[in-house]
Amino acid sequence: MITAELNKKLWSAQGGMELALRFDLGTGESLTLYGDSGAGKTSTLRMLAGLLPPDSGRIVVGGETWYDADKNIDLPPQQRDIGFVFQDYALFPNLTARQNLLYGLRKGEEDFLEELIAISGLGELQHKKPGQLSGGQQQRVALARALVRKPKLLLLDEPMSALDHQMRNQLQDFLINAQQSYGLTIILVSHDLGEVIKLSDRVAVLESGSICKVGSPAEVFMQHKISGKFQFSGRVLHIQQEEVVWIITLLIATNVVKVVVSEKESRELQVGDQVVVASKAFNPILNKV
Amino acid sequence: MNKVKGVISGIEVSGSLSLVSVHCGNRVLKSIIIDTPDTLGYLVQGADVELLFKETEVVIAKPGPLDISLQNRIPATVFSISKGELLSSLILNSELGKLESIISTAAVTQLKLEPGKVVQAMVKLNEMMLSPC
Amino acid sequence: MLEGTPLKITFELAAVTTVLLFFVSIPLAFWLSSSRSRVKPIIETLVSMPLVLPPTVLGFYFLLAFSPSNSFGQWLDEWLGIQLIFSFPGLVIASMVYSLPFMVHPIQSGLASLPTSLKEASYLMGKSRFTTLYKILLPNIKSSLLTGIVLSFAHTVGEFGVVLMIGGNIPGETRVASIAIYDQVEALNYEAANFYSMILFAITFTILLLVYLVNGGYLKKFWR
Repeated sequence: MITAELNKKLWSAQGGMELALRFDLGTGESLTLYGDSGAGKTSTLRMLAGLLPPDSGRIVVGGETWYDADKNIDLPPQQRDIGFVFQDYALFPNLTARQNLLYGLRKGEEDFLEELIAISGLGELQHKKPGQLSGGQQQRVALARALVRKPKLLLLDEPMSALDHQMRNQLQDFLINAQQSYGLTIILVSHDLGEVIKLSDRVAVLESGSICKVGSPAEVFMQHKISGKFQFSGRVLHIQQEEVVWIITLLIATNVVKVVVSEKESRELQVGDQVVVASKAFNPILNKV
Repeated sequence: MNKVKGVISGIEVSGSLSLVSVHCGNRVLKSIIIDTPDTLGYLVQGADVELLFKETEVVIAKPGPLDISLQNRIPATVFSISKGELLSSLILNSELGKLESIISTAAVTQLKLEPGKVVQAMVKLNEMMLSPC
Repeated sequence: MLEGTPLKITFELAAVTTVLLFFVSIPLAFWLSSSRSRVKPIIETLVSMPLVLPPTVLGFYFLLAFSPSNSFGQWLDEWLGIQLIFSFPGLVIASMVYSLPFMVHPIQSGLASLPTSLKEASYLMGKSRFTTLYKILLPNIKSSLLTGIVLSFAHTVGEFGVVLMIGGNIPGETRVASIAIYDQVEALNYEAANFYSMILFAITFTILLLVYLVNGGYLKKFWR
C-alpha cells in the first residue's frame, strides 16, 4: 500500500537533525510512530500529507507516486487521498459540526454523511459549532471529518492525548470499527502505550530522526523480551517508600494495582512513566467470581 | 530486580514448557518458562541471556547441605543489611555479583545475620525470568 | 458659501477606494501571511511606506507619473483615454496606495493569527487556495476585515496632502471636504470650515466607535 522513503534536514531548538526513514505498510494495516517529542514523528506525517516538502525520497501509495524527488513529482495535499486528524483538531470555527463534515463531502455521498454522523455519535451535536463542544466531542468531529472523503490513508497526530480514559476507549473502538469497515490504512503518532498496543499492528520507534526499532507492539515494548507471560503496560500513579521496599501504584487500563520494587528500581521511576509489568505465569492465582 | 548474566547450556522441552539451564560463572541456574525454542527466538544453546528475579523471591539459608526443593543455590556473603520494622534488605556479594534479598526482619534476627556472614541465596526455578542480552 | 458637494465627493472617494482596496488587499495579505519568499520583506516595506512618508511625497510622484508629459501618463491617455491627473479616477488610485497599509495590515495579522492547521485541513479535504480563503479563512477573521475596511475608509476621508497634489482643487470633481476646509479657512470663512469639520469629526467618530463596539463584543449583548 505505502512505500515511503523520506529524508529531510530539520531545525529545532536543539539544533539540526537529519530525518531519514523508510517504511512499508500494507493495506488495512496500522502503524504507530512512537518516540520522544522532537524525534520527527509529526514531520513524518506532514511529509506524507504533502504539507512539508522532504529534501529527497519517495512516497508511493497504492501504486500512485505522491512524491519522487528524482522524477520531480510532488502531488499537492489536495490530490493526496488522505484523512488527517490534527493535534489541535483544526475544526473550522465558523462552521457547525455537520458543516465541517459537509465541507469535504464528495457529491452524491449524502448517505455516507448521515452514516458517519450516526456512528460517531454526533446526531445531537451536529448543529453546534466547535466552540460549543467539549474536547472529546471536537475530537469525534475531527475523526469523522477526516473520514468524510473515504480516504485510503488516515493520519492521526496524537489525537487522543487530551482525552480522559473512558473517552479514549470509545474513540479507539470507533477507530478500530472504521478501520475494519472502510479498509483504512492508518498511521498515527502516539505517546500512550495502551493506545499503541490497542490500535496498531506495527510500531516504529523514532529516535532523533530515524527508526531505531520496528515490530509488533509486543515485540517493541516488551523491551527485553522478558519471558514472563504475565505482562501488562501501565502508568505509574504513585511511588511510596515502606521500610526497605518501595510500593509503586500503577494504572493498568482501568485497574489500579500495586507492585513492590527495590530502592534502585524506584529511583528510575517517576509518576506518569509508562512501564511494562511482568511476572511469571506461575505466580498469579485465579479466583472465579 | 536481580540480574545475573549467563549462557544457555541446556533446554529440556515438554509440551509448551521448557526447563532452561543457564551457566553463570561456575554455577548452573535453572528457570522454567512457558515457551519453547519455537516460540522464543533466543532460546538456543549458547545464547547470552540474563536471569531476572525479584529481591523478594530470594531465600536466605545458612551454608551446608539442606533437604529442600530449591535447586538454584548461590553461595554468598552478607555485605550490608538495612533493617526495617518488618522487612530487611540484604545486599549479598556472590560469585555472580551483587544480589539483593528482602526477607523478614525476624528471620534476620533468627539466623543471626550480619555483614560478613556466609549464606546461601536460593531462588525457586519458577521465579526466574529470562531476557536476551 | 455652504455646499454639500465636497462632502459627497469625500465619501464617494472613500467608498470607492475602500471597496477596490478590499479586493486588492485580500490576496496581497494572504500572500504576505503565508509566503516565505525572499522578496516578502521588500513588499512588506513598500506596503508600509505610506504610514511614514509625507503624503506630499506620494502625491508628488503620482503627479510626475500621471502627468501627460510623462511617457506613462501619455500612454494612458493615448491608449486608454484615461487622464489620471486632476481627475476622480486618479484620486482613487492615489488613495488606494495611500490607504493600503490600513487595509492590508489588519487582514494580514488576522490571517497570521489563525492556526495554519485550518488551511492545511482544508487543502487535505481537496479544496483550492481560493476556496479555503473564501470559505474558511475570511469568515474566521471578520473583525479584522471590519477593522481594515473602516480604517481605510476613515483614513481616506482624512487624506489631504495626496489629494491636494494630484487632485488639484476642482469643485465638484476633486475638491474633497478636507481641502474645502483649508480653502474656507484661507478665506477666513470660519463658519463654513466649522461646518465641514464638524461633519467629518462626527462621522469618523461614529464609524470608529462602531468598530470598537463590534470588535469588543459590546453589541452582542443587545443582540442576544
